[in-house]
Amino acid sequence: MRTKLYTVAAASAAALVLASCSSGDSGGGDSTAASGGLTGEGSGDSCTIEGEVPVGAVLSLTGAAASYGESQQRGLELAAAELAEQDGVTYDLTIEDDQTDPRQAITLFDEFVNDGASLVIGPTLSNAAVQADPIAQEAGVPVLGISNTAAGVTEIGDYIFRDSLTEQAVIPQTIEAATEQFGLENVVVMYSNDDAFTESGYEAFAAALEEQGVEISETITFSKSDTDFRALLTQAQESDPDAIVVSALIEAAVPLVTQARELGIDVPIIGGNGFNNPRLMADAGEAAEGVVVGAAWNSSSDNPENQAFLEAYEAEYGAQPDQFAAQAYTGLKLVDQAVRANCSAERDSIQEALGQIENVPTVLGEFSIDENRDADHPAVVQVVENGSFAVLE
Amino acid sequence: MLDQYATTLTFIALGAIFAYSFYAVLIAGQLSLGQAGFASLAAFSGAYLAPDRADVGDVPALLIAVAIGMSVGALAAVMLGLPTMHLRGVFLAIATLGFAEAVRVVLLNQEWTGGAQGLGVSRILTVGMAWFALALVAYWFWRMGRSRYGRALEAIREDELAARAMGIDVGRHRLAAFVTAGAVAGLYGVLYAYYVRLIAPDDFDFVAAVEGLVTAVVGGSTMFLGPLLGSGFQTIVPEVQRAVGVEAGWIRPFLASLLLLVVILFLPGGLASLLPRRTRMPSDAGDAADDRTGRSHPAAGDTVVALAGLGKEYGGVHAVRGVDLEIRAGEVVGLIGPNGAGKTTLVNMISGLVPPSSGTATVLGAEIGRTPVHRIAAAGVSRTFQHSKLFNRLSALENVLVGAHLVSRPTFLRRLLWLPSARRDEQAALRQAARCLERVGLADLAASRAEALSYGDQRRLEIARALASDPSLLILDEPAAGMNHVEAGRLSELITSLARDGLTILFIEHNVGMVLQTCTRVVVLNFGEVIASGAPGEIAADPAVIEAYLGSAEDDADGGSLAAGTAADPTAGSPDGVPPPAAVNVDPAAAGTLETPDTTRRNAP
Repeated sequence: MRTKLYTVAAASAAALVLASCSSGDSGGGDSTAASGGLTGEGSGDSCTIEGEVPVGAVLSLTGAAASYGESQQRGLELAAAELAEQDGVTYDLTIEDDQTDPRQAITLFDEFVNDGASLVIGPTLSNAAVQADPIAQEAGVPVLGISNTAAGVTEIGDYIFRDSLTEQAVIPQTIEAATEQFGLENVVVMYSNDDAFTESGYEAFAAALEEQGVEISETITFSKSDTDFRALLTQAQESDPDAIVVSALIEAAVPLVTQARELGIDVPIIGGNGFNNPRLMADAGEAAEGVVVGAAWNSSSDNPENQAFLEAYEAEYGAQPDQFAAQAYTGLKLVDQAVRANCSAERDSIQEALGQIENVPTVLGEFSIDENRDADHPAVVQVVENGSFAVLE
Repeated sequence: MLDQYATTLTFIALGAIFAYSFYAVLIAGQLSLGQAGFASLAAFSGAYLAPDRADVGDVPALLIAVAIGMSVGALAAVMLGLPTMHLRGVFLAIATLGFAEAVRVVLLNQEWTGGAQGLGVSRILTVGMAWFALALVAYWFWRMGRSRYGRALEAIREDELAARAMGIDVGRHRLAAFVTAGAVAGLYGVLYAYYVRLIAPDDFDFVAAVEGLVTAVVGGSTMFLGPLLGSGFQTIVPEVQRAVGVEAGWIRPFLASLLLLVVILFLPGGLASLLPRRTRMPSDAGDAADDRTGRSHPAAGDTVVALAGLGKEYGGVHAVRGVDLEIRAGEVVGLIGPNGAGKTTLVNMISGLVPPSSGTATVLGAEIGRTPVHRIAAAGVSRTFQHSKLFNRLSALENVLVGAHLVSRPTFLRRLLWLPSARRDEQAALRQAARCLERVGLADLAASRAEALSYGDQRRLEIARALASDPSLLILDEPAAGMNHVEAGRLSELITSLARDGLTILFIEHNVGMVLQTCTRVVVLNFGEVIASGAPGEIAADPAVIEAYLGSAEDDADGGSLAAGTAADPTAGSPDGVPPPAAVNVDPAAAGTLETPDTTRRNAP
């Protein structure tokens, strides 16, 4: 038994060494091969690049943020399939899982940078972005965030971009539209304070409400893992608010909205980016009616890119896309735009071209990258009507 | 080459350091999940309080943060440890988990920590620094392993009660292990913070704690390289999966968990059990004699044990009542009586394991009931147990080394510095242990694990362990149980020779023949009371004793002979080879007509 185990251990150690060597070799090989063929001729649609353009994506496919990562993976794969049909430039998209673990995100960024990726997409969570993006920044590899909404991510450096609107961009518009619509004077704010995304959403709500002169009569916090909000909602009801403003992930949003309606709270509920998910209507049903959601992506937009995206996504996966899928899909399309602009997939060239993206028609609407390398496109304030999102007017 | 793997190597080092914080308590048998909380407190306070790297330079900033973090971790461990150190097993795990969760929630709601969005920290740690820190931590645990302190922790893990009886202050040792865990977890927290650039309270949640524990257990929690192996394994598994092209997604964690299961199933001792474990033998067992630390034993005839009206009651059942007994130095006292007579309860009280419910007792100057077990052991009481309480996973030699805890000097800190005096002290302890093994005839089996010994050898090993502390009073609880008559005969000789050396011996035995042959005095207990006490010859003839053993004459007219051993417990050895003393054959018919306790000689209180 003991000798057997030794053998097994020795064999696995040997396999490990071999495996790590081979990955090292292929990594080196890629970057040399790629650097030879990453610049092509022509421009835009006529651009032809000989080599495959290596693009890495770090997504949270397992772990706490897996539900977002999966949507993003679908969006990226859909875009990659469409790009593969276009001539001239081929992409070698490698999607990796960071397991919602910052250590994995850091390791993966390091590997993509070492393996010669032209650009890295991701990571899914803002926290991981703050931890991993500096690695790419130091190595001069452009990064395109497709879901990072926290403030400060693009301040890491001039190689860091994102196509996701920050909460600070979306929420003021939401509050402004809602205040106008419902004549808000005092509201109760509820948010989960143990999640980076919802907490920064809360901060944006609080700032926007103050700007609009709406009084916050009470602020109630809960945990992202909570599912029973009845006591908190009863507490909120006591101050008789004009609306309840909620910054929560979809897992909390559904029970919160459902229970609020059960308790007879019929004032508008205003949600942040976390609410912008088809599950809100699917799982909360009737209760979701009238919920106001600020979003970076207008799912009901009739612009041709969006219609084509909805159709293709539905055909491929048999489900409605959410904002994460839309932003991921847009992200890879923007990368293609940037590569074709200079007809080069060199890192610096992509970095320069990304910075100059302006008024590109995308699923998200007319899209530009601003001087802070943040996304600039119209946000949308939606309201749930008859089981789907409609623009609040 | 190294550059390419710098990140992975750094995470291996960090994971290993965190795993060491679990190892630090697992080695003492404590299951704690509070390390995540210590690491969290340390990471946030270190990163928040340490001066900026721009003001003092990179390395000083990191060192200051490490110093703050380790102090905070250790301090938190003291504060958590004091109220929880009496908890065992899963209860300690739950209490410490509660602490870690409380830390997480508190830090989430603090302004200065940045809440859920976390606290930004600059990256200073390099792969070299991480491995340097790991090397220091591993060195610490390496040098601890073969020190008196390290052995004491292992003994506590294997059998806490026996460790106490060997004179180990279990509470202090457990707290020390816990504080070490706190400091090491603090080191991990700070290093982690200075590598990942952003720390959030959720980085130190339940999942992180369990991961640290799993890493330590997979690596092996009884060998100092275990945490390093565990971390290497845990960190490299995802890398290998990527390298061999397993598709990203659920299949990877599934495979990793499966692999973990396989390792735990086939290597219950962790990966470190693949490494051979050396057992040291004293290099020069020969020249022994005079380096014995020695303690001053009471002069022959001095009172060693004085019991006055001692009683123990368990919920209305009087296991022992009103026992007055005095044992003087140099005596060999045999304690006999039928099963359930209260013999073990009585010696448990004498050795301090069980507090009496009434009466008073003084043993070698220590007052029973108020004095913790290890203090009574320190006063010179050493014992064996009715059911062997050996340190099963330690070698026979190590078992005896633990027994020598009280007569050897602490060596851990001196071992860290490689002081020659530490080596001398260790050698002296080794020689003492080897001598004791030799005395019971186990020298050949010194390297065997205690659990692998035969039953009879285990009994002898217990005696060797008890002897190692150079006791004044040796208590043996059924030492001959399970021995054949040849072994019992040898044991009898051993006891006699120990008595010649000046030891006072109290022993419980069912092999009445052996007791009568070996003891200078025999005390008979029945229903918790002393029914007879006197020289072996008197006892063998005492009708009360005979009745206690055989029942009344009417019930059993055909009783055996006490001294011949036929009346003894069936587990006792055969009486062959035990020459019957003079007054052997007692007429059972006479027993019923005699008054019972009058012949008992008792010492007045």
